[in-house]
Amino acid sequence: MNSSTEQKRAPSEYQSNLEILMQIPMFSGIPIEPLKLMAYLCKREIFRPGEIIFQQHEMDENAYFIIEGKARLILENDIEEEISEFGESAFIGGLSMFYGMKRLFTLKAVTQVTALMLSREKFQKTLEQFPEVIGKVFEGLVKTVYEWEIRLVGDRNPECAKCRANIGVTLV
Amino acid sequence: MTITKRPLSYWVKTSNLKIQILLLIVILITVTTRVIPLEMQKKIVNHAIGQKKLDLLFLYCGFYLASVVIASGMKFVITYLQTALGQQALARMRKEMFEHILKLPLSFFRKTSSGLVVSSLVTEVVTASEFVGQAVAVPVTNLLTLLAFGGYMFYLNPLLACLSLIIYPLVIAIVPRMQRRSNEANKQRVDVTRRLSSKIGETISGIHEIHANGSYHIENRKYGKFVDELMKVRIVWTLYKQGIKTTNNFFQNLGPFFLFIVGGYLAIQGRFDLGALVAFLSAQDKLYDPWKELMDFYQTYQDATVSYTRLMEYYDLEPEHPVAPIDRDPYELKGEIQVKDLSFTVAGGIQLLKQVSLDLKPGEQLALVGFSGSGKSTLAQCISQLYTYTGGSVQIDGLEVNDLTKQDLARNLGVVAQSPFIFDGTIKENLLYSCTAVIEDGDPAKEYKYPTLDEMIEVIQQVGLFVDVLRFGLNTLLEADQESELVDKLIRVRENFQADFGKELSDFVEFFDEESYLYFSSVAANLIFGNPNQPEFSPDQLHNNQYFLDFLDEAQLKHPLVSLGYQLAEQTMDILGNLPPDEMFFQQSPILADEFDDFKALVGRGGAIRLHEFSEEDQHGLLKLALRFVPGIHKIVALPQMLEHLILDGRFLFMKKIQADHPDAISFYRISEYIHSQTILDNILYGKPRTDHPKSQERINQSIIQLLIEEDLLERIVEIGMNFRVGTKGDRLSGGQRQKLAIARIFLKAPPILIMDEATSALDNASQKRIQNLLETKWKGKSTLISVIHRLDTIKGYDKIGVMKAGKIIEMGTYDELLAKKGVLYEFVHGAKAGAQ
Repeated sequence: MNSSTEQKRAPSEYQSNLEILMQIPMFSGIPIEPLKLMAYLCKREIFRPGEIIFQQHEMDENAYFIIEGKARLILENDIEEEISEFGESAFIGGLSMFYGMKRLFTLKAVTQVTALMLSREKFQKTLEQFPEVIGKVFEGLVKTVYEWEIRLVGDRNPECAKCRANIGVTLV
Repeated sequence: MTITKRPLSYWVKTSNLKIQILLLIVILITVTTRVIPLEMQKKIVNHAIGQKKLDLLFLYCGFYLASVVIASGMKFVITYLQTALGQQALARMRKEMFEHILKLPLSFFRKTSSGLVVSSLVTEVVTASEFVGQAVAVPVTNLLTLLAFGGYMFYLNPLLACLSLIIYPLVIAIVPRMQRRSNEANKQRVDVTRRLSSKIGETISGIHEIHANGSYHIENRKYGKFVDELMKVRIVWTLYKQGIKTTNNFFQNLGPFFLFIVGGYLAIQGRFDLGALVAFLSAQDKLYDPWKELMDFYQTYQDATVSYTRLMEYYDLEPEHPVAPIDRDPYELKGEIQVKDLSFTVAGGIQLLKQVSLDLKPGEQLALVGFSGSGKSTLAQCISQLYTYTGGSVQIDGLEVNDLTKQDLARNLGVVAQSPFIFDGTIKENLLYSCTAVIEDGDPAKEYKYPTLDEMIEVIQQVGLFVDVLRFGLNTLLEADQESELVDKLIRVRENFQADFGKELSDFVEFFDEESYLYFSSVAANLIFGNPNQPEFSPDQLHNNQYFLDFLDEAQLKHPLVSLGYQLAEQTMDILGNLPPDEMFFQQSPILADEFDDFKALVGRGGAIRLHEFSEEDQHGLLKLALRFVPGIHKIVALPQMLEHLILDGRFLFMKKIQADHPDAISFYRISEYIHSQTILDNILYGKPRTDHPKSQERINQSIIQLLIEEDLLERIVEIGMNFRVGTKGDRLSGGQRQKLAIARIFLKAPPILIMDEATSALDNASQKRIQNLLETKWKGKSTLISVIHRLDTIKGYDKIGVMKAGKIIEMGTYDELLAKKGVLYEFVHGAKAGAQ
């Protein structure tokens, strides 16, 4: 009976969340059922310009997908050092899904940011139900790290001896 | 005498003497009344019936009846007295055992689980107390009864009496042998039960770990092993017990055999009258009960002895330190600490502390740092008498710590443990816990010794718990007709909130507005837009309320809502349908975990039929779902624009109708009226928060605090918040909140010596810094502080830093001295910095 009414319905937030999750590389190998559960469990949050999304040294157990807006990554030592900027479709914090960590950086909204947030707790609940997904997620994760290091190796400054010692994350 | 050294008989001797004497008197009367029916029996047969005298028959029957009635009444009185004695003994045993166990050294509890203590105090003492209740009454009653019947039998016929009593020596010879085996089995039973209780206790305290690891089968297996063992032991034990009973029964039943043979022969010969034989048989029969009771008593006695001895053996330890000083008041110490050549060796010859020495003047602050396992906590615990050191000395103001009583230390020492324990109760009770412990019960000035509300608020502010407590206060429901003054002020706060922050906070809060749809309230709340005063109008009852259903029809809402309900159910099942119901999965669906199966079946039926073909009951179920739908939370379905308009129109129609038909049923949301079914916070907001993200909570808090200060209500709300119940082990608090509460209760007590064992490990940076600041400003010079520290960034402010390694202090000095020395601390600090970069 639903085929006729289905088309008339406005898409729910859940449905658009699902579409977003499907385009995140880390989740790309995951079958639709667990993805649905994740889309159902995640939440949207709005950050105003200047608001802190997560804070250096503080525990943060969320992954973020930026739906709209711009955010800046900052390293706060004695001075604020700008690292990079994230825009639409950036996915940040995937590793937190596996290990609760204190953030090494601060992420601050530059414009109004709408983010999709998934907490470690909820992600782990999903894995509990679909243990077979773990392998896929790891694959996606490792691939991301691998591509990262390819860029790192390409961009490296051959003059800098210290930088040389710091590469090789993919050999972990 | 220590409780564990007392023999079982102690409890009998010290039981209530008056009851015991009363019991003996009642017993004597009972025994007498027990013999009368036998004599009457004989008289009725021989005199009344034999000589056909009706008046005698009535007389003797009267006597018979009276003595039976009295005997039964007395039996009841005996049971009552016995129970009173037994239960009094049980209560005393439980209380005194508990008192004793609490004082046992901490080392004892490292090998004893809570489950074991529970089983000791709850079940193991019961057999012993049963015995105490019976100890006098049962043997005396039954021995006397036996003697009385025996004597009566001799009076009737000595030969027959001898014959029927011949079995008893046999029983007495056999039974104790069997009892010894039963005792062995019973001992084993006690031990296995104990292991089982320990296992249960351990499992339940580790339940988080079990859930996290999904290790149910491991725990089931371990537990199952003990249960099987217990089953086997209990079978053996029960067999022996029953064996004794059966043996006893067998010999008892032999009795009449001899009587029939010999007595029958004598009666036929005419040397014994029939009445006497009947009386004899009855007497023989009556011997059975007292004898059986004696045997049962013997078994109870044996069982009680076994479990009692086992129980007392286990707890037979002396408390290491006396609780209170005997001939003086507890010391008031200044807080000078001298540790000299302190060593602490545990079983197996492992030295946890080796030759540790340190000196602290009153008010000085020492930080202990070092690798984990280096003995920092152990040192702190030796100084606070939680461990009894095995060598060297620890002195406070020149007094040896091992010689001080617990009360001396309680007065002068405050300890914040690594993972502090929070008791079930309110925040306030927990805050006052340490203070209450040192205020004596009989103290006439008791009232004045408790901290004031202002002091409590100051302390929770200092440790950074203020906002949390305020939050608890704000989340409180106020009873109708109470606190009317507070309610009036809150309404003012609400009005100011709207005026001052309404615009700014509209991102975070959805305010109640008659003219707009509330996306963060349910469909039901959107329709009735008020607070139900009658139960049939409460949101979870509306789908059964005929008046409301009629209204839905009139507003043309019923069908669209049922359709919405179906969408919700269908979508939920699409996502969760094949998963086991987990509480977390239902936070974002209007379906509750326990309704899951019903809706799953309903959606299953829906595949083949159209919406209007559903049964009335199914339609009601779907309507119920739709009425619960909160678009801002249940994101699985989008609220269709048209339905939104219909509902908004419905709100006004409902308002008009209900005011005409049931004017008292609903109190509509009005900016000038308090809503008693909602929390103080929601009342001030006059709306619903749009998100539970911490940042928005913080913004809302800030604005509200400002307004509460203006109305002079802040302290009042915090006071209400202090009555928040924290749950078992403080489960309703976060780890950080528990730690803050533990620090607050020690600060409130303000002892001359503070011992903090990684007391801020669960706190965020800001709170950690704040507490460190406080220690450096408020407490320096006031209280001697020994702080075990895991993070090096807080140690600069300490007067002395002790670096520990393998049970020794290897470096000691100020921060600057130690850094200049470039020793181990330098490496720690340096290494930590290098690691962070």
